[in-house]
Amino acid sequence: MKDYEVVIGLETHIQLNTQTKIFCSCKADSWEAEPNTNICPVCSGMPGVLPVLNREAVHKGALLAAAMHAEINPVSHFDRKNYFYPDLPKGYQITQFDEPIGKGGYLDLHMPDGVIRRVRIHKLHLEEDAGKTKLDHGLRLVDFNRCGVPLVEMVTEPDLRSAEEAAQYLTQLRQLLRWIGVSEADMERGHLRCDANVSIRERGSQVLNTKTEIKNVNSIDAVRQAIIEESKRQIELVESGGKVVSYTLDWDADTGKLSMMRSKETEADYRYFREPDLLPVILTEEEIAHVKAELPELPLERKARFEADYGLSAYDAEILTSERGLSDYFEEAVKSLGGEAKAVSNWMMNDLSRLMNDLGKTASELALTPNSLAQIIRMVEDGKINAATGKSLLRKVEESGREPAQIVEAEGLAVIADSGALREQIQAVLDSATAEVESFRAGKESLLGWFVGQVMRATGGKADPKRTREILLELLSQK
Amino acid sequence: MSISKISPELFHKLVGLAALELTAAEGAYLLTEMNHQLSSVNALLQVPLEDDIQPTLHGIECQGAGPRVDAWQPFPTPSEILAGAPETEDGMFAVPDVKGAK
Amino acid sequence: MSLNQLSALEVAARVRAGELSAREALETSLAQIHAVDGQQGSLEQKPLDPSEEHKVHAFIRLTEDLARQQAYEVDRKISAGEDPGMLAGVPVSIKDIFTLQGIETTAASRILYNFKPPYTATPVQKMIDAGALILGKANLDEFTFGSSSESSAFKPSPNNPWDPSRVPGGSSGGSTASVAAEEVALSLGTDTGGSIRQPAAFCGVVGLKPTYGRVSRYGLMAFSSSLDCPGPIARNVSDAALMLQVIAGNDPKDSTSSVVPTSNYLEALKDGVKGLRVGLSPDYTHLFYPDFETGELAMESIQKEISQAVQHAASVLADLGAEIVENVPLPNAKYGIPTYFVVSRVEAASNLHRFDGVKYGYRTPVEVEDLQDLIRRTRAEGFGSEAKLRILMGMYLSSEGFAANYYQRALKVRAIIRRDFERAFYPHGGHRLDVILTPTTATTSFKRNDVFGNTVRMQYSDQMTVSANHAGLPAVSVPGGLDADNLPIGIQFIGPDFREDLILRAGYAYEQATLDEAWRSVRPAVLRQEVAK
Repeated sequence: MKDYEVVIGLETHIQLNTQTKIFCSCKADSWEAEPNTNICPVCSGMPGVLPVLNREAVHKGALLAAAMHAEINPVSHFDRKNYFYPDLPKGYQITQFDEPIGKGGYLDLHMPDGVIRRVRIHKLHLEEDAGKTKLDHGLRLVDFNRCGVPLVEMVTEPDLRSAEEAAQYLTQLRQLLRWIGVSEADMERGHLRCDANVSIRERGSQVLNTKTEIKNVNSIDAVRQAIIEESKRQIELVESGGKVVSYTLDWDADTGKLSMMRSKETEADYRYFREPDLLPVILTEEEIAHVKAELPELPLERKARFEADYGLSAYDAEILTSERGLSDYFEEAVKSLGGEAKAVSNWMMNDLSRLMNDLGKTASELALTPNSLAQIIRMVEDGKINAATGKSLLRKVEESGREPAQIVEAEGLAVIADSGALREQIQAVLDSATAEVESFRAGKESLLGWFVGQVMRATGGKADPKRTREILLELLSQK
Repeated sequence: MSISKISPELFHKLVGLAALELTAAEGAYLLTEMNHQLSSVNALLQVPLEDDIQPTLHGIECQGAGPRVDAWQPFPTPSEILAGAPETEDGMFAVPDVKGAK
Repeated sequence: MSLNQLSALEVAARVRAGELSAREALETSLAQIHAVDGQQGSLEQKPLDPSEEHKVHAFIRLTEDLARQQAYEVDRKISAGEDPGMLAGVPVSIKDIFTLQGIETTAASRILYNFKPPYTATPVQKMIDAGALILGKANLDEFTFGSSSESSAFKPSPNNPWDPSRVPGGSSGGSTASVAAEEVALSLGTDTGGSIRQPAAFCGVVGLKPTYGRVSRYGLMAFSSSLDCPGPIARNVSDAALMLQVIAGNDPKDSTSSVVPTSNYLEALKDGVKGLRVGLSPDYTHLFYPDFETGELAMESIQKEISQAVQHAASVLADLGAEIVENVPLPNAKYGIPTYFVVSRVEAASNLHRFDGVKYGYRTPVEVEDLQDLIRRTRAEGFGSEAKLRILMGMYLSSEGFAANYYQRALKVRAIIRRDFERAFYPHGGHRLDVILTPTTATTSFKRNDVFGNTVRMQYSDQMTVSANHAGLPAVSVPGGLDADNLPIGIQFIGPDFREDLILRAGYAYEQATLDEAWRSVRPAVLRQEVAK
């Protein structure tokens, strides 16, 4: 069998998280709404109405273009794409055909094996979403709630070389969209939709062979699986002397099977022409500069910086830049702690992350501020409280909203600092455990841990473990 | 000079694209008129155009108010929109299914 | 003078002064409608009673209840000392291409026969807010496709009040007929290639196409989005200026609506024409009609009396102090209709895609197999021939393989048509014109069924008007005389962007200077009949 490589291009539709639809003032997010309650004459295709562009959709589209290293076109145009389908009430979709908002661009994939795959963007443009339909007893039912929601369509060049890379692209894209705040990018809610174009060729060949298009892949896993299945199918087909035919395929997530939808030979003629009801989209030099300035440090850049400046491991840096809120939180905490990144990283990746999971909260939703976290860490490191106390403080601060130092004060959580007081406590414990003292002195040294535990109990956990051990050993070794 | 005409085959294809259905008589009449109109349109092909002429979409340079603010303004009576539909079910517009759909 | 002969300005003034109640204005209008209009247009194809042959049939639907409510409101405001608006108590008709909330808006098409819009068109709302009384929806060519109003699915289609065996022109034929027959004082029409001006010329009334974007298109069921202009129809120039004042202005619901400030159009009328530079063009003296086999454009003379009327108008203006500038070249005028065939059809085909029986309007009652079948049958049964023709032409001219040659090219020819005007109006150019004076049409009104069916001949009725649409310029047709058959002749003034004031000034000066000309005392046949009764 020959050595094949798979060639993949991805087409994504990204729902922007503006307040309103792209051409009318209905809500952009109507996930919870009853059918056809979030509609108006414009988005339901009534005669006589006209589209009016949402400036925030342009802004977010430009921001995304900048984040994808694409050129923002100062003048872009909307066009009509004409065809009949029940979820398209006007009988045409308003999209951008030949002069879109973004030109060029790329996303660098950092694969786990160290390979960096640059995925070039072929097209980045704004358009309106269609409505939703469902089949019910032979009738097709149409809901226009979603019709007109602003979308950015991004089409990559066929630069991806594996299902894993495709999955990585979507993962990074999703992270980026949330990072810059242009989309919730939740695939289950249709905020991020993907079609995959798949073809195969002999490794080393530069030719692009006939491709098939896989639709209806609603999760990153589905994309990965579907591509694996399809590339397998194509290889088997070609190996047995067949030819790949250009088809649109549908992925059934339940059965894990692909089925033919329609042949792509009969391409519709969309008769694109400039939308006469809209004026050109103009972005001035200042506006473009503003958008670029608004672009935050992107996840990969920040990951590299965390590794370089804070000395974090690649693994830790990746976790701490997986989500913007988490990442900002980390940096704030490090600043408050005077630059001790490792300590913050430890605490965040272990105990704080556990707390966040328990409560189902993201970092930006926490009542426990980065500053408070830093204070807790500082108190532990200074020996003012012990580690166990520190960990319990996380939840206490989160639930009460009070300052850590306040809680320590109020509940008397401070480590017993006075050696004398501690010595007294320890002596009291030894006095009430004479049998164990005998055993220890007789050689059962493992009882030390038990004594420490008893002291902890007696002091309500406030004894410093190290100091306790020292004093215990001292007292126990006296005869 | 002969001008391009629409053939009956192309006409048939256009009728399909346009989601129309025509009787033979209607089809014949419309095709004749289309080809007559093409004889007028043909003049455009002869007009000398300099290279720097740009297609003009609106005649005048439109000075509009520009894109709108992203603020929710619900339409007061969406039920009125649904009420005008020829057929609905469960608050949705109802139509027969698309031929050959999944 | 009876009340229904009063101008809109006069009615509004009297109502505002408390000298005339809106209710009385309404009753007068209704009485006139009942006297001359006959039956309204309907989808039923029953044979017409002979007594109906001489009626106007301007309306698809009367909206008497609505008008009564509006009249009541105006009269209430007057007695409460509130401002009832600039059009207080003025009876008006609205071309049935504009939406009116809760009232059937049909576009004269079966496919919208029962469509009740949930919103009102902006220019209509402005007129309502100004106190106008809406007497009814005027009949028109189906979806405004035509120049005679004969393609309406709602029969009988309107007749010309000057000679009911003839057409009122189109597509705003019902609008101009209702004004000419003194049923209403004003009408709101639309002009895409000449659909206000040509029927205004045929019916002997004033019809103004404003600059593109001057009046909002929100609520105007679109024909050709880059060309459509709502505009006023009236019996005299001041009334047209008054109505323009009310409906002009930016609308946030229409992205192409202009933010250029409106001016005081009524005030401007007084400025006269002394020193005004009025251009005449040799390119507006003939039709350029294609040979169906070869495509060669051949020159056809226009009706002699029409050329004479234009010449006469020029000399009247000259006597008033205007400077007449002859031989202004507008050489690309002959490409106006060819360009229009392409641009308007491409846009129309797309605009009509939404009529599919899914969301509103007509749906075929026939049993269908699937959705595609439903859509095809609905459109086949719902659209008339002219609509189907425009859709098919539009499909062809924008399809892959043809779009570059036709659609893209037409948009470039549009640019050079515009350039001709820019050169003529350029303040530092050779001609430095303020307005251009041309005939509105090549002929006066033709007989019913004479032209209908010959779609090329029908479209060429708009050759003199269409270039102003391509260039986006304002243009007005005013009555300029009668021909030997007592049929109205229209003369047209075209002006620069947003200079409706200039063309209204020129029209007004001409109108006022010719008030005593013999032809102005001749009344439309339909009104003479009434007197004779």
